[in-house]
Amino acid sequence: MPITVNLDVMLIKRKMKSKELAQKIGITTANLSILKSGKAKAIRFSTLEAICEALECQPSDILEYKP
Amino acid sequence: MKNNTTLLRVITYVVLISTTSILINDIQEFNFEQFKSFASWSKSVNKNENWFTSKNAIMWSYYIIITALFFWRGYLIYGFTHFVSILKEIEKENYFSQKNINYFKKIGNVFITYTINVLVLQFLLSVIQGASFNFFKELKNEFTFLIPCGLAFYLLAEIFKRAKTLKEENDLTI
Repeated sequence: MPITVNLDVMLIKRKMKSKELAQKIGITTANLSILKSGKAKAIRFSTLEAICEALECQPSDILEYKP
Repeated sequence: MKNNTTLLRVITYVVLISTTSILINDIQEFNFEQFKSFASWSKSVNKNENWFTSKNAIMWSYYIIITALFFWRGYLIYGFTHFVSILKEIEKENYFSQKNINYFKKIGNVFITYTINVLVLQFLLSVIQGASFNFFKELKNEFTFLIPCGLAFYLLAEIFKRAKTLKEENDLTI
């Protein structure tokens, strides 16, 4: 899929652990792992909003289009 | 859902038992007298003669077809046993699993193959006996409802296949 998830980069930038982010946005660490690994088929707007709020960033910082 | 599964399981077992009892009843009612003439024919036949004659071939075919028609019902019971496997999968809450899709396809295959084979065997039997074979009359027989049933199971397999894909997509939506 040409859409890549740069959640790892943002987590390092914000010095935040995956577990902490999962707790903040209210999803399981397993689901966050699926999202980080790029195995996810889709992302809900509510999840994206929660991630952006928790990491204080824009959707474009997390999602990138690489043709 | 658990109660529904139990009810379905009971219905499936009732269908299986009744189908088996029909088969057993058929065994009881099966006219074994016709094999007596076969036995006497095999005893009286001249051993020095060439066994592969057209008359012998017709005789053998007749008895083989009658026996095949009789035992073919077992294949139908085998098809019904897949319902139990589907119910087991549902009990495990694997509604849209690949196993269920395969079972639906297998049931569809069994129903259609059974009906087509019975029609073919009855046609061959009528040819051997020299009787007329009315295809449409045979189609009206009780077993032919299995063809639409089989097609319905193929359709169900396709629906479950689509549902499986949708479920996977839903599970991977974060």
